[in-house]
Amino acid sequence: MSAQKKIDSRLSVDSLNRRGFIKTAAGLSFVVSIGGLLSACGEAAPPAPGQPSPGKNLDANIWVTIGTDDSIEIVCPATEMGQGSMTSLPVIVCEELDADWSKVKVIPVTRHDPAYGNPDFGGQLYTAGQASIESYFNIMRHAGAQARLILVDAASRHWGVPHSELVTETSQVHHKPSARSLSYGELAVVARIPDPLPAITDADLKPRSAYRIIGKTTERLDIPEKVDGSAIFGIDMQLPDLHYGMVVRAPVEGSKPEEINHSVDDEEGIIAVVPLDYGVGIVGTTIESVLNAREKIKVSWSKGRVASTQSSAATLDEYEQIARDYSTRGSIWHERGGVEEALGNAVQLIEAEYQTDYAYHAQMEPINATALVNDTGDAAEIWVSTQTQTLTVYAAARALGTSNDKIIVHPLYIGGGFGRRTHMQYVEDAVLLSKATGKPVKAIWTREDDVKNGLFRPLSAHNIRAGLDENGRITAWYHRIATPSVLAYFKPGRWENAEGLDVISMKSSDNSNYDIPNMRAEHLITERRARIVPYRGIGAGYTKFAIESFVDEIAAARHMDPLALRLELSHESSRMQTVLKDLAQFCEWDRPRQGKALGLCVTGYGETVAAGAAEVSLDNASGLITVHSFWVVVDPGLVIDPGNTVAQMEGAVVFGVSHTLKERITIKDGVVDQSNFHDYPILRMAETPEIHVKVLSTDNPPTGIGETGVPLTAAAVANAVASLEGIRLRHLPLTPERVLAALRSKASPSV
Amino acid sequence: MTSFGVNGKSIETNKSPDTPLLWVLREHLKLTGTKYGCGAGLCGACTVHIDGKAALSCLTPLSAVQGAEVTTIEGLSADNSHPLQVAWIKEQVPQCGYCQSGQIMKAATLLEHNTNPSREEIVQHMNLNLCRCGTYSRIIKAIQRAAAEMQS
Repeated sequence: MSAQKKIDSRLSVDSLNRRGFIKTAAGLSFVVSIGGLLSACGEAAPPAPGQPSPGKNLDANIWVTIGTDDSIEIVCPATEMGQGSMTSLPVIVCEELDADWSKVKVIPVTRHDPAYGNPDFGGQLYTAGQASIESYFNIMRHAGAQARLILVDAASRHWGVPHSELVTETSQVHHKPSARSLSYGELAVVARIPDPLPAITDADLKPRSAYRIIGKTTERLDIPEKVDGSAIFGIDMQLPDLHYGMVVRAPVEGSKPEEINHSVDDEEGIIAVVPLDYGVGIVGTTIESVLNAREKIKVSWSKGRVASTQSSAATLDEYEQIARDYSTRGSIWHERGGVEEALGNAVQLIEAEYQTDYAYHAQMEPINATALVNDTGDAAEIWVSTQTQTLTVYAAARALGTSNDKIIVHPLYIGGGFGRRTHMQYVEDAVLLSKATGKPVKAIWTREDDVKNGLFRPLSAHNIRAGLDENGRITAWYHRIATPSVLAYFKPGRWENAEGLDVISMKSSDNSNYDIPNMRAEHLITERRARIVPYRGIGAGYTKFAIESFVDEIAAARHMDPLALRLELSHESSRMQTVLKDLAQFCEWDRPRQGKALGLCVTGYGETVAAGAAEVSLDNASGLITVHSFWVVVDPGLVIDPGNTVAQMEGAVVFGVSHTLKERITIKDGVVDQSNFHDYPILRMAETPEIHVKVLSTDNPPTGIGETGVPLTAAAVANAVASLEGIRLRHLPLTPERVLAALRSKASPSV
Repeated sequence: MTSFGVNGKSIETNKSPDTPLLWVLREHLKLTGTKYGCGAGLCGACTVHIDGKAALSCLTPLSAVQGAEVTTIEGLSADNSHPLQVAWIKEQVPQCGYCQSGQIMKAATLLEHNTNPSREEIVQHMNLNLCRCGTYSRIIKAIQRAAAEMQS
């Protein structure tokens, strides 16, 4: 049994109590003492004293355990937030293992262990950036093939027949010449784990033509639990003697509590008021007692971080100035050819500016974590909705001043991630409040806490210049993006080594699918004036809004069909050509629409390519845009699960249309103006377009699907409005006020 | 003392009568299928049935359920067999799943009174319930599927 699963087996949630936890901590130390937690992984380490023997289940490798009862346990490194990785990653293992899918049980990873980490996130356990399938596809295939080989080898020795006479199917090994079969569970009893484990090369893997479940829609494993209320999300965690915690947070970033009125001490149910560096914690026996107490507590705060006190309107003005001031130079995110010379030689110059406001994740499950810190305050167990076990461990260990191996983290179902659950202050809340009180504490942020102290997609200001030659062809493209570095704030360690290249802030600004010979995408790294983290689609959400709006503006200047221009620009990308042509048919691009119009947008997000079309109408009196229909064609390479791919595109389009039309955080004097869904509305059912998705499975490696739909939306909608009304909306979100302003300036153009 | 029923069981509690029903269900009775989303009646994640009518448990004080029968997602069926639950699985509706208890409980009260709702009636009935993952179109399909199933 792997060390991973041993720890799990010792930590059943049901049996957990204070004594049980202390025993657990001792057990952890034991595992460490035999050569380090990490090196114990994958070895048949002896059981901890007093623990049952692992039995005869076959730990084929760190990913796969074959039960003598025919169960198949597969470790899933990704956490589940609705994107489907908890099903899709085990499907890949199951495919190569030829296992019976109905017998598969998925095991989470409950600590920071680079053996399970995502190689594209430096070995961290990190679920983001639609990376799970792309990063783990080969790892999971090899894990399954290796386990299968061990089983085939066991059957070969058991029957005294060569491997070549054996076939595997649905958790059975068959020897057809003698009409004999053994189940994987039966073979688990007799199998030996070779040392070292058998090497697997790509030649041992199935050709795609042999796939049985990859490429088919598999019902997601988590869905039955999500329709009967039994799924346990982070906020649902229950423990014996569970206490509740909240932190009254500073109104302005960086403020510290100076004076705290303690009169809530004698409130019924309140056991502690805990001054923290960044707020005031309240811990009580019931959630309602804590909610009541926080209304009565009075805190005076120190002056906050000065940079965060500037209003969002003034900040956006500042960013716009920086973007258009070409004497200010930034970090070159992408460069090809010689853009300045090409602009100088251009026959025609086109320039446009775009802006985007702060956006909030609005994940449905409010932020929370539950922690139990041991008596000596140097080890903790945490139950949490998190996008990263690794950063959860780091945050808890840092808060306790302990080492990472003293933290166990149980990743529970996530009620919406969208990037919000990559920033870990909520873990710190739970750990500090548990340590201060000696109780297991579920620390919850109210919705208002989350909006008021939100970690947003940053403001961005764009200035783009394109140079055209005498034939109207785009020869130069210079895109300047003034926005702070998200990486610098939320992952300062990584930023130190990033050489000024921020993949979060600048995502998809490189126009890799467009054949533009001279091109620069430049990041004017502005001062951060709010807390900022990744948001679904990351930088592509605004870079594609600017780029794909600008493509339509160039098409208009050339009196050219926006589809034809995109086909011209992408003529060297056969994948983009295919999705564009398919989309044109799919949405009936050429069909006239009464009172409505279509707009296009394409995106590459990583290697996944997609094209989208929005059909909109506009109420000129109110300025309200309605998106009636949205078409998507997506090519994510090999499609692991077509059904889930459709679902992810549908969901991302709703998310994208929501942030295109409605979502806007504003800040005054360092305080966020919004607080809940009444003043931060998100798209409702009545506003949801009909969404049509076509999925193309291609010969390319499988790439992600979770983010791609979001950057398809904003420019498609803005371009449709331009086509319909001749007004160009350049500031996201496309609110009625902005639409009305554009209609007014169209009616009476300024001189 | 407040006395009421939850999923067919009698409950007596001396919690303060102004305690939101949501916290009584989730944190005292450990029926965590009912979700906290906004605490302000804006999102529908906390939807339960009180005497058969959809109610927002975050806005419902304990005093309001004296003598009433409350049904939560855990009580909708014993084995995921309610036509809506069957349809929800068939249409693979949930993504993160957090809002879905509220969606299903809200939809159940529609089908109680209208066995053949139009798309517009569904949207009108369901419009308060937010889903950030954007599963709205599948929710509509699942309700239509359940309605058809209940008629046949």
